[in-house]
Parts: sequence; C-alpha cells; structure tokens
Amino acid sequence: MNSRQPHDDFDKELRTHLELEAEEQSGAGISEREANDRARRAFGNATIVAEDVRAVWHSRWLEDAWQDVLYCLRMLRKNPGFTAVVVLTLALSIGANTAIFSVFDAVMLRSLPVADPANLVLLQWSARNSLQVHGVWSNGDCAQEMKGGNPTGCSLSKPFLEDVRAKTALFSGLAEFSEAGRFTLSGNGPATLALSQYVSGDYFQTLGIGAAIGRTIQPSDDTPSAPAVAVLNYGYWSTTLGADRGIVGKTIDLKGLPFTIVGVAEPRFTSLTPGHVYDIWVPLVQRHFLQSHWNPRMEDAGALWIVAIGRLKPGVSQAQAQSAVSVLFSNDAIHGDKPIAKGEDAPAISLVSAQKDLVGARGSLSTPIYLLMAAVGVVLLIACANVAGLMLARASARQKEIAVRLALGGGRARIMRQLFTESITLSLMGGILGIFLAFWSARALLAFLGSTSLRPLGISAEIDVRVLAFTIGVSLVTGTILGLAPALRSLRVDLTPALKEGAGKGSSAGHTGHARIGASSALVVGQFALTVVILVGAGLLVHTLTNLERIDPGFATQNILNFGVDPTLTGYKGARLAALYNDLQQRFATLPGVLSASYSEITLLSGSLATRGWILPGASHTEGHADYFTAGPHFFETMRIPFLSGRDFTPAEFLQAAQADEDSVPYLGPAIVNEAFVRVYFPNVNPLGQRFGFDTDEDAAKAASEDPKYRRNPGEVIIAVVRDSKYNDLRRDVKPTMYVPSDDGGTFELRTAGYPLAVVSAVREILRQAGGNMPIFDIETESKQIDDLLFQERLIARMSSLFAMLALLVACIGLYGLLSYELTQRTQEIGIRMALGAQAGDVLRNVIGHGILLATIGAALGASVSFAVTRYLRTLLFEVKLSDPFTLAGVIGLLLVVALLACYIPARRATRVDPIIALRYE
Amino acid sequence: MLILRTLLMGPTHGHAIAKHIQRTSDEMLQVEHGSLYPALHRLVKNGWISARWELSKERNREFKYYRLTALGRKQLIRERSKWAQMVAAIHRVLNGA
Repeated sequence: MNSRQPHDDFDKELRTHLELEAEEQSGAGISEREANDRARRAFGNATIVAEDVRAVWHSRWLEDAWQDVLYCLRMLRKNPGFTAVVVLTLALSIGANTAIFSVFDAVMLRSLPVADPANLVLLQWSARNSLQVHGVWSNGDCAQEMKGGNPTGCSLSKPFLEDVRAKTALFSGLAEFSEAGRFTLSGNGPATLALSQYVSGDYFQTLGIGAAIGRTIQPSDDTPSAPAVAVLNYGYWSTTLGADRGIVGKTIDLKGLPFTIVGVAEPRFTSLTPGHVYDIWVPLVQRHFLQSHWNPRMEDAGALWIVAIGRLKPGVSQAQAQSAVSVLFSNDAIHGDKPIAKGEDAPAISLVSAQKDLVGARGSLSTPIYLLMAAVGVVLLIACANVAGLMLARASARQKEIAVRLALGGGRARIMRQLFTESITLSLMGGILGIFLAFWSARALLAFLGSTSLRPLGISAEIDVRVLAFTIGVSLVTGTILGLAPALRSLRVDLTPALKEGAGKGSSAGHTGHARIGASSALVVGQFALTVVILVGAGLLVHTLTNLERIDPGFATQNILNFGVDPTLTGYKGARLAALYNDLQQRFATLPGVLSASYSEITLLSGSLATRGWILPGASHTEGHADYFTAGPHFFETMRIPFLSGRDFTPAEFLQAAQADEDSVPYLGPAIVNEAFVRVYFPNVNPLGQRFGFDTDEDAAKAASEDPKYRRNPGEVIIAVVRDSKYNDLRRDVKPTMYVPSDDGGTFELRTAGYPLAVVSAVREILRQAGGNMPIFDIETESKQIDDLLFQERLIARMSSLFAMLALLVACIGLYGLLSYELTQRTQEIGIRMALGAQAGDVLRNVIGHGILLATIGAALGASVSFAVTRYLRTLLFEVKLSDPFTLAGVIGLLLVVALLACYIPARRATRVDPIIALRYE
Repeated sequence: MLILRTLLMGPTHGHAIAKHIQRTSDEMLQVEHGSLYPALHRLVKNGWISARWELSKERNREFKYYRLTALGRKQLIRERSKWAQMVAAIHRVLNGA
C-alpha cells in the first residue's frame, strides 16, 4: 500500500477535527487563537498520533528501518570524506578476509566432487610399531607416519584389498587407486607426457562418476585378459587434446603399449584427492605391462601401495564396518602368508571420512592458509578499532543532534538503532566493495599457489554462496561491533550540557569530549599494538626469506637450464641407454651459448633426495649414512662445485658403471665425496683411496647362502673431495654426501653463457635429429627451481608483509582521523595559545607529540605482545631469532616514521589556525 | 467497544465520536481526542467499521464518516456479553456472593 495516502488522509481528518473543536471552543467567547490552542491541547501530541495511525497500517519496524537507512545514507553523503575513509578501510580489510577465506574454502572446505561423499570412507591403518613390509609407496593422499611409535598410513596391499572384497559385504564398492607417474603418450601427434593413475574397475562406479563422452572404466576392464583401455580427465581432454570428440575409440600408446580410449570423465570430477589431478586413468591390472620391473608386486602382501575408498552399503554403520575390516586386517597382517606385524603391534584399520582425511595438497597449503587467515583477521580487528574510533569521534560531533532528538522525545532504543543502522550500512558497503577486491585477488592468489606446482592444482576459488555468506556475516558482525561503542555512549548523553555546547562554551561538554577522546586514543593505541604484532611477524618471515635467498648453496645457481628427456620409445636399456645420454650430453655441450652440459638422476635443490647406508672399514654392520647422488659427466664443472683434491670421473668409469648395471654385478666403483663426508668419516687421514660400503665376510657368506649367484660387493673407493653444497633443500644442513657415476640417465643440466631458456629451441632441434620421438619435459632454470623450493616462504612472507602494510595504513588512517578530530575540538584552545604568543613550531610539536606518544605506547605494547605470539611461527623461521632486534627495530622505526607522517598533516593544519577566527568562533 | 457502541446509533465523524463519548460518560472519561484516531484506524483495519469521506449537507463540508459494519455489530455483541460477564463477576466478588 502506498504509505503517503493514509498519511494525507489523516492530515485532512486531523484538520477537520481541530477546526470543529476550535469552533466549539470559540462559542465560549474567547479569541480565535486561544480557541485553536485549546483545541490542540485537547487533542494531545498530533505528531505521535499521526505516527500511531500510520503504525496501524504499516509494519512499523520495516518502515523505521527503511527510514533509518535513508537517513543514514543522507548523513553519509553529507560527510563524503568520513564515508570514503571508513568504507575504504572496511573494504580493504573485509576484501582481504574474503579473498583468504575463498582460498581457505576452496582448499579446506569444498566437498569432494563425487556423488554422496558423506558415506565414502578411507581405509587408514595404524599399528603400535613399524610394519615389517617390503616397501610403502604413497603420494601424500593422507597423513602418513612410517617412523616412530605409532605408524599410520593409507597405502595398502593388493592381497588385503582382495580379501576385503571377497570376505566382507560391507561396501557397495571399493575405489582403489595408485599414482602411476608420467607416461609417454604417443600415437596422437608428437609424444607427450601424461600423468597417469591406476584405478580399480569399480573406481568410477563407487564414486558415482559418469562419463562426459563414451564410458568410464568398468570392472570387466580390470581383468588380466581384458583389452587395455584408458579414460581421460575432462580438463586434460579439453585443454591438451583440444576437446576432440573423435578421440574416443582411438588407440594411443602409453610407454609404447596400445591403449584404447573408451571415454572422458564428467567435467566436475577434476580430482579425488585435493590437488592430485591426473590426465589419464587406466585399470590397475595394466601395471603388469606398464611397469613390469616395478618393485611392489600385485600379489605381495608386504607391499603397501594402493589407497582405497569404500562406499558403505546402505544399513551398514561405520563402526560395524570398521570393526569387521579391522579384524580382517589384523588377521592378514599377523597370520597371513607374509606376516607384516606381530600380535603386540595391534595392527588395525580405521574407517575415516574420505572428505576430511583425503588431504592431498591441503596438507602443505594448510600452514600458510591458517597463518594468512590469522593475519587478515588481525587486519580486520585493526580496521574495526579504527572505524570505531572514527565513529566515536563523529558521535561526539553529533552529540547535539542526538541530544535534540532525545529532548524531542525520540526513543533511546530508536536512536541506538539508528546508530547501528549506520554502522551496519557502512560495513555492508565496505563488504560489497570488498567482494570485488576479493574476486580478483583470490584468483591472483590461487594462480600464485598453482604456479609452482608440478601439476595443476585443480582448485579454483569462486565467490560462491559460502564465501558470500562469510563476507556478509563478517560485515554484519563488524557493523554491530562498530555500532556498539557510539550507541552505548549515546545512552549516557546528558541533555543539558550537550544542548548548551553549541550556544555557549560548555565546560562540561569539554569534559565528556575528553572521555571520548580517551576511548578513541585507547583504540588508536590498540591499533598500533596489533600493527606491531603483525609487522613483527611479517618482518621475521621476510627476514627468513632473505636468509634463505642469501644462502650460498655451494654451487653457482645462475644460468643453468634443467630439462628431462624421456627415451622410453627408443627401447634402450642399460649400457645403450647410458650411451644415448652420453651422446646427447656431448651434443648439448657443443651448442653455441652452452658452456658445459651434464645430467644427473636428481637435480640439485629440487626437493628430491636419495640416501644410503653403508659399512665403514673395521665395522661389521651399517655404520655410515650419506646422501647419495648419481652424477653424469662434467657434473661438477657444470654446477661449478670446486674440487678440493682428486679428479672427476673418467669416461671409462661411466662405461664401467653402465656395463655393471646391465650385467647386475657389483664392482669396486669410484666415489667422489664432499667435505662433510671427510669431516665425519675420515677426519684424520688422507681420504683419497679410502674404501667404504663393501660387504663384510659375514654378510657375503650369508647372502651367498641364500642365493648362490650372489657376488660380494666390494664397495666404493674415494677418488676426489669436493666442496660442500646443498642437496635437496636450502633449510637442510649439508650432510656427508657421496657422488657416484651415473649408470643410465637423468635430468640434463646445461650451464649457459646467457639467458638459459634461449637455448631451448636448439636443444629441441638436437633431440629431433637424434630421433626416437623423445618428449622433453620439466624445462626449468635452476634459479626458478630454487624459487619454487622457497615458494611457501615467499608466499607467506609476501602476503604477510602485504597485510602488515595494510594494517599499518589502516592504523595511520586511525591516528590521522583521531588527530584531525581532536584538532577541531581544540581549535579554540590553539587559537588562545597562539594569541598568547605560542609559535607555530610549538603547536606543531604539541600535536605531533601527542600522536607520536600514542604510537609509541602502542608500539611498546605490541612489541611485548609479539614476543608471546611469534613463538607460533618458530617452525617457519630460518636462522632468525624470535626476538630478532633487527626486525623489531626496523618495524618500530617504520611505524614511527609513518605515524609521524600521519600526524604531520593535521599538525600543519593546526599551525594555520588563525587566532582571530578561532576566538571569534566562540 | 465504546466507539462501536457510539456508531450503533448511526454513521458519524471522529470529532462527534469524541464528543459523544465525553458527554455520555458524564465527562468521566477525559481522554485526549488524539488517542481516538489510532483506535479508529485499528477498527477500520479489522473490518469492524468502515470509513468514507462524505459531504455533510447541513454544514456543507466534507467529513470522514465512520459506520459500523456487519462484522463490527457481531463484535460489539460479543464484547458486550464478555463485558457483562465480567461486570457480573466483579459484582459477585465485591458483594460476596
């Protein structure tokens, strides 16, 4: 209903009433005016009646709320500066929160992209002691702990899973999977590499995933005699294969073996484990053919390599299923053909939520994400304190308005609601703007997160319903907190002095004004304290990053190009494979712009590590332990790791190594060791010519008794000592390291004269000339590889500095706002001071002094709090003390300089106060 | 109830209702005239009375006339009997039946 119409209607009715009454009264012989007055008196408060009449027709609450909003928008338009500062402050902080939350949501909260994820359970084993297994292979699908008292994991053996299928009727399906690695995919243009996963025949059925085209893998595909089939990931199919619908039914080659593509999985199924995206799925049974030499055998109960997700049958409870599976596991583990545990180890299986415990990429991302959530939370807190301060200050400017409304009979509840409406409107405006800010910053953040990952993360941050709900929730809570302080204060307004303030100079008004400034000052101090905490945290993290970046890894990291070559399709093995690598290495070394070339099994600072235990001279069992590195020709020259004594491997030694590998005979091999190795194992002798790692007589006899073909391993002889250098990780200390000659191939390393990537096309040309359809992969410069290693450190350092700067900015806006406001209150005082002869400099000092005092108190408070808080960062730091004086001094210096700037502008304005005008204002 | 009772005598306007209630209650119920109007509007909203602007021939000006509806009549009867019951109950208590 139109709200104006009954209003006008009532006006008319009211007029009629008053006229009638006046007519009646004037009959008593009084003046017309007196009659009118009497009529009005008899009627009572017309305004309230009018409102009551309106209330009959409308929901009062809604109308009031709408009125409040309109009124508050009008007020905000009248104060564009205030509005802009508040909305911008809130937008920045709410936007930062939304961005981080949307990433948090995408990584931590989003549900598995499968049908009905609630009754999918992950089979996780646990035991009291390490299991006696042949090996455990895992890809970080779940939390795994192999060492220590209570090992746990989710890799299982194929025989056990077959038992679960055969002997229990708990699951309607069992989705088994295991990463296969990258296979050469050929037969469809130039060979490429496709990241593949083995899955059980009922994998897709169990998860409830259909096919976008064709069909998914079926149980009949997972039998030894079935034709080899493969299913493509929708993302891989649409990007790499150009969404070619004709691909279904075609045959491609994986590692040179033919596979028929039977379908493409539906688009929503990007990955099961968060961040583990596979290009292609093949049945588990195909592992026989694709990786025949691979260690864990299908039928080996001592090889744990398959992760399994079960879908509980309707009517089967999780507890019921768990006890049945656990009994089966315990029985197989203790009494099976290949016992992997003893009775006292209490091996057991827990059925845990697939949604929650299939961790994947979530595991490594959770630390930075929680840290950033905390940081943006603090930023929001600072922004709240800031805006609350500004609103308090403004509330005092509006004191008169509020007092007038109270005097005119406005309800206090109504006025409080007005104030809340204002603060909530402000924070919602901030929130809406924040969503836009968040929208692109979340994308940028995820792109950054994904940029260094070997494979696509398969995680996308979208501003979905949950994120919107989060933002609106944060805005509302913020608004309510913001409204609280001014609203409570408004209740305590003492009408008389407040009304007087405008007219005369009320000293009592000055008093309440002071209390208000006290509260605002406390808020500013609080903001600076929080800012210092977050700045110190960020400072420590940045310092950690620079420490790591400045580390001398022991080799020259600039101008190195790394790349892998996959010679699967050449069919070369053993000595011929080694010869191929040797040949390629020599060709690469002659390229213009390439200073030297080499290859190695693992590249330096890639995160990968191999270690080996061996026997020292004079010992009867494993005594020594060293990092183990397989190097190709000219490796030390290429990496610029200097020789301290001895010589590099000779071509003959490489040939010998390759030949020995092909014949699988142990031989006395050459080894180059680093300084740490000598320090630990051969401290007081000339290390050159020393032998280690051989079999003792006892070992040799024992081994020979088991296998007559066994030949004694003569170990290694040290031929050179090189300088220490970092192996897999910058944070890890240099350990004793042994280098042995490569017996097959690895990743190429080219030392270039200029920009490393400039030689890539020449490298491709050489590979093309060499033939064999060898795909090249993982082309990366060594410096980029090191950057990637520091990815998490960089992410945390950058983001936390960003948020710290944001916090500082917001705190300074708070300080600026407070001082500016104070100044308007003190205009008269400053005028009097200047009239009495105070110099501009005195006034400047006075105002700045006050601001700096607040900042200093805040900084001192924050510094002490930060000592307590930064303890939680300890694991993230590197060679930085928690009470790092450099960081603390830098932070406080920065804070004071910026605070000085924030003070200076209002202080300058103070000096321009014209005493005459200021006094006349009185 | 008082308003409904007043309107039982025929349609009339706000001022007249106020005056009538004042007079018939022997000036006992001295209410501000203003408080009458929200009550009137509430009754209109409940559908117990209706309102229309009509030209009064005798005074030659427009008044907003309120008149009882059928629903209002029923309501009056209901309230009256309730009131009577209550008066009777109070009477019994006071006289110690």
